[in-house]
Amino acid sequence: MGNVVQRQTRGALRFQLFRKMAGLELLSDQGYRLDGRKATELRKFQARMGVFAQADGSAYLEQGNTKALAVVYGPHEVRGSRSRIRHDQAVINCQYSMATFSTAERKRRPHGDRKSTEMSLHLKQTFEAAVMTQLYPRSQIDIYVKILQSDGGNYSVCVNAATLAVIDAGIPMRDYVCACTVGFVDETPLADLCYAEEGGGVSSLALALLPRGGQIALLQMDARLHQDHLEALIEAAMTACKGVSKVLDQVVRQHLQEASVPSAE
Amino acid sequence: MIKTERILHLKSCRGRKVRVVREHYLRERVPCYSSLCQAGCENDGKVLPGDLTHYVIPDAGVSGDYLEILEFRELQGIIFTQTSCQGVQHSKGRRQYKRLRNLLKDPRHDCVPFANEFQEYSYCPREKGESQEKWQTRCVYSAAVWYYNHLAGMMDVVMITEDQEAVAQYSSLNSGVYVISVQGTLNVSKHRAHSEASIMTDGLSNKNTDLSWGVLVCGGKNRNRAVHGDQVVVELLPKSEWRGKDNTLAEGQGEEKSGEESGSKPMPTGRVMGILQRNWRDYVVTFPPREGPPPQTRNTQRILAVPWDHRIPKIRISTQQADALQDHRVVVRIDSWESTSLYPNGHSVRVLGKAGELETEIQTILIENCIHVPPFSDAQLKEMPVNSAEKPWRMDPAQVAERRDLRESHLVFSIDPKGCEDVDDTLSVRSLAGGKLLELGVHIADVTHFVTEGSLTDLEARSRATTYYLADRRYDMLPSVLSADLCSLLGGVDRYAMSVMWELDAETLVVNKVWFGRSLIRSSYQLHYELAQALLDGEQAEVPELAGLGSEEKDSKLAQLTQALEMLTHVARHLRAQRDRGGALELEGVEVRAQLDKDKNITALVPRQPLEVHETVAECMIHANHWVARKIQETFPHQALLRRHPPPRQEFFSQLVESATAGGFTIDTSTNKALADSLDQAVDPQDPMVNRLLRIMATTAMSQAVYFSTGLQSLDQFYHYGLALDRYTHFTSPIRRYADIVVHRLLTAAITMDRGVDPGKALASNKELEETAHHINNKNRAAQQAQKISTELFQCLYFKERDPQSDQSCVADAVIYSIRDNGILVFISEYGVKGPVYLRNREGQVVAVGPEGSCEWQSGSVRRYSDHISTTSSCGTSTFRLFDHISVRISVRSTNCHADTLTLEVTSNRPLLSAGPQQPRSQGRSQLVQEVKRLAEEAAQEKAARKPKVSKEEREFSQSKTPNLYSLLEEIRELALLDLEGGAQVCETTA
Repeated sequence: MGNVVQRQTRGALRFQLFRKMAGLELLSDQGYRLDGRKATELRKFQARMGVFAQADGSAYLEQGNTKALAVVYGPHEVRGSRSRIRHDQAVINCQYSMATFSTAERKRRPHGDRKSTEMSLHLKQTFEAAVMTQLYPRSQIDIYVKILQSDGGNYSVCVNAATLAVIDAGIPMRDYVCACTVGFVDETPLADLCYAEEGGGVSSLALALLPRGGQIALLQMDARLHQDHLEALIEAAMTACKGVSKVLDQVVRQHLQEASVPSAE
Repeated sequence: MIKTERILHLKSCRGRKVRVVREHYLRERVPCYSSLCQAGCENDGKVLPGDLTHYVIPDAGVSGDYLEILEFRELQGIIFTQTSCQGVQHSKGRRQYKRLRNLLKDPRHDCVPFANEFQEYSYCPREKGESQEKWQTRCVYSAAVWYYNHLAGMMDVVMITEDQEAVAQYSSLNSGVYVISVQGTLNVSKHRAHSEASIMTDGLSNKNTDLSWGVLVCGGKNRNRAVHGDQVVVELLPKSEWRGKDNTLAEGQGEEKSGEESGSKPMPTGRVMGILQRNWRDYVVTFPPREGPPPQTRNTQRILAVPWDHRIPKIRISTQQADALQDHRVVVRIDSWESTSLYPNGHSVRVLGKAGELETEIQTILIENCIHVPPFSDAQLKEMPVNSAEKPWRMDPAQVAERRDLRESHLVFSIDPKGCEDVDDTLSVRSLAGGKLLELGVHIADVTHFVTEGSLTDLEARSRATTYYLADRRYDMLPSVLSADLCSLLGGVDRYAMSVMWELDAETLVVNKVWFGRSLIRSSYQLHYELAQALLDGEQAEVPELAGLGSEEKDSKLAQLTQALEMLTHVARHLRAQRDRGGALELEGVEVRAQLDKDKNITALVPRQPLEVHETVAECMIHANHWVARKIQETFPHQALLRRHPPPRQEFFSQLVESATAGGFTIDTSTNKALADSLDQAVDPQDPMVNRLLRIMATTAMSQAVYFSTGLQSLDQFYHYGLALDRYTHFTSPIRRYADIVVHRLLTAAITMDRGVDPGKALASNKELEETAHHINNKNRAAQQAQKISTELFQCLYFKERDPQSDQSCVADAVIYSIRDNGILVFISEYGVKGPVYLRNREGQVVAVGPEGSCEWQSGSVRRYSDHISTTSSCGTSTFRLFDHISVRISVRSTNCHADTLTLEVTSNRPLLSAGPQQPRSQGRSQLVQEVKRLAEEAAQEKAARKPKVSKEEREFSQSKTPNLYSLLEEIRELALLDLEGGAQVCETTA
């Protein structure tokens, strides 16, 4: 990996066509996807932990062209209404947002719109399942995630970035939470969908997994899919998530190495 | 895997432009699906065999446009790149793409896909500003290069593209990949129809000059069912199989084509791979006479009919009327040509009549040249104004007020051939300002007043484009009420005209002022050439218009007319001399006129006789055309219809130069001036025919003058080579040429605009005009061809009635003008016939010359040298040299299915003495007088030109141009039959 070449193609192409999903072939006869990956191949990962000193934990993650920044504050005292205080565990507060410049068309994205609220909720559920909240009763953990550039698989990128940030903050978790979006095309599950694939009418499924135990933290799917295929799809998603966990593990280990070297001096 | 990004600009559903970034992953291992692969690609599924001669990689355009061809199972080893697949998908749509996908999946096909855009080394990012097509071609090329390297050079890779630039660019790169694209029009050789054809490549901007001569296609199999005129794709054969053209005279060869190479050096040879565009038209065929008894049943039979045109293969027709149609000429259409069949299938459309009858033959000529001249329809005739005895046509008072009235002020007269009905040009000349100024006027029939743009008559005229003159008849472009009456500028009647009037200085003849406009004229005299010449020469002549007058009045009028004619001749000489100095060519064509008696029997074949007055009239017309061309080109720089005559290709002069060298002359063909001068000097004082023949050869080497729209050519392309004018058009014959009508309209619009008024209707755009020009050019070519063939037809008819053994007129004097391997080409000036004479016949016998020159067939051998050919037999050796005079016997070889041809047979190697010793000499006397006059004029002008500034040569080399030698040569040149009309085909000395 590495060696990133930028390439420009000018000239109006056929957005409408691919909108209509008439022409675009998501999986070619030779088994290539639009961007040249094979069905099970993930996009390229690039990650950094500890990008902000101010926050307790932070991480920046690029998964292909989807780029997300996650920041974790806490655990700290519960702010706001005291009614939210849980006596046996910490409260996890998630906030998801997209930058106005994150998509091809610039768009103001006010906080609290339906989509981001839903996404925030999903994130919260995911991390409530993963973080060992019982260690921090009567306290609160804030996870803020911002999508800087969106190119498909926003949820999974957010989860992966937040995982790294939580680890950076030193909050204990049961396992890495790894998420991946998979789609189903031509009887073949495609791992780690990009925007064009997501928009191409694929029935996609997002899965967050605690890979070591194989527990599913969250599974979300709002498309139609034949029951017979579901098993295969989940199987593919779990494989992909395990792949992600390997990458994340590598990132964390590398970060630790970097962090420990200066302290040793 | 390497990740890159591609940035696309897409249109969003709301029509806004969006910039989208997409990832693009490259990998090193992309399967190549070739069994030759050394790198161990994971080739599962279809694999290209390794025993092919080459792999083919079509680019995006080719894969899309020629998918049907690529689908042939015979084609093996095709690699479709991802780029071209996507190109097909986007440009051709889903259906075509699906076909391509199925093709790739089909296990019976030897074609594989290659994901070149995901291959790390074959992927090339699109550059800024690069067009999509260019990028695709580049991608495909780089994929081809990758393949070649991937297979370690074990397999040749051929990339096919239609992009000529790409061919030029990539074929020069040394990467082991061949980039090809050749296509052109099939041109079947007229003479060896069964064995040879040549392809003229058009628009092939290849550096490879080998192909500029065209590609030879030998044999019927290589021709692959292409018919004369089709657009085909050819494949070049390897150089070892290239062949030269057959240079021997084949039986039935009519006339050699210009530009045919005399040496049989190998030229590019190829075979037809496919036909891009059929160019089938209606063909005239003859049903062959039946052999054997007629069949009992009246079922449909399949008959092989023989087309009139030698170049067309026999056509299979199934018909029930085979018996009735025997020996009839029938119009047929070709329907199909199965790949398994030797002949195409067709069906008959119309029966023309029995072969050999005059009417049938004329119809045949018309149809073969795609000329359709039905009688004018009622609707068209209804548009015409009426001019009958009861309802005579009158001028519109509004028009009278608008036009300049020249009826009283000017002496207008016309000079035309005898019996001419469509008089479209008249002349006037008068002195002004006490003799200091001259006013020359050319008045052309105002056809556009009667033929409004877009009317039915206009459309019909446009589709005919010209009046067709055949040897014995003509087909008018306009209905006769116009062409022979209302538009025709007849004597003594008021007519509308378009006029060009120059005010010239009487001394120097410099143009002071030009006036263009519509006018009213009344022609006072309707002269014919012979009469005008007689008046000029001061001979007694009866002018019909003056017949009824008293002798005194008659004399004064006659004097007035003669003076005008003289003035005109004076001006014309000046103009001619001016053009001559610019390098105008005087060329020579062969033309004869068949003299017919009342019953349409041919009494004699007469070459046309030139008179000085011909040239005078022509010169005035050229002048008018030139000025009109200037006017419309200046007013409408991008949409004027002009006529240009491109300089001929130097290669075409090779025969001329060779022949001239053999005769001991040098011909300089570098410029038109040099050519004109060297032609003038190439004179054999013993034999005027030599010069004439050289001129004929020069004429055949010329390219055709063509109409064009000024928007399509650059300014330096406007030049008229033959006339040595920078701009030229046709203006003076609107009755018989549609181009002139267009020019008239342009001129009218220009005049209106000069007055500051908007011309109202929008003029034809550059593109429309170019289409019109193209159409007119085609029709003109057809008209010329038809005229030529009909003349040949009449030549044949003339000789058919005579017995070649007994009739004296069948033996004629001929001059050798070219040498071939087994014979010579001769020219018979008496009849204007060109043709081959065989010195070796089919039995292998050769012509042996007896002691007193008589010839007979004997066995022997023929040897050909550059300037002579000699036959050796038991009687000794005899030699025929270039430009020798020999006697030939003319006979007609009748064929049932084709046009009759004349056969020439040598009877003696001496000139024929009995034939009236060189016709030109008999009428040379009066010509000499004119020539001397003209020379004096020319010399005077030369002097005048020298006075203001010494000519360049003089200044630099102190050379003087003594007129002595020149005038001598001119004199002799004039002895040769000058043929104005013939020259008109190429250099249009007539208007």
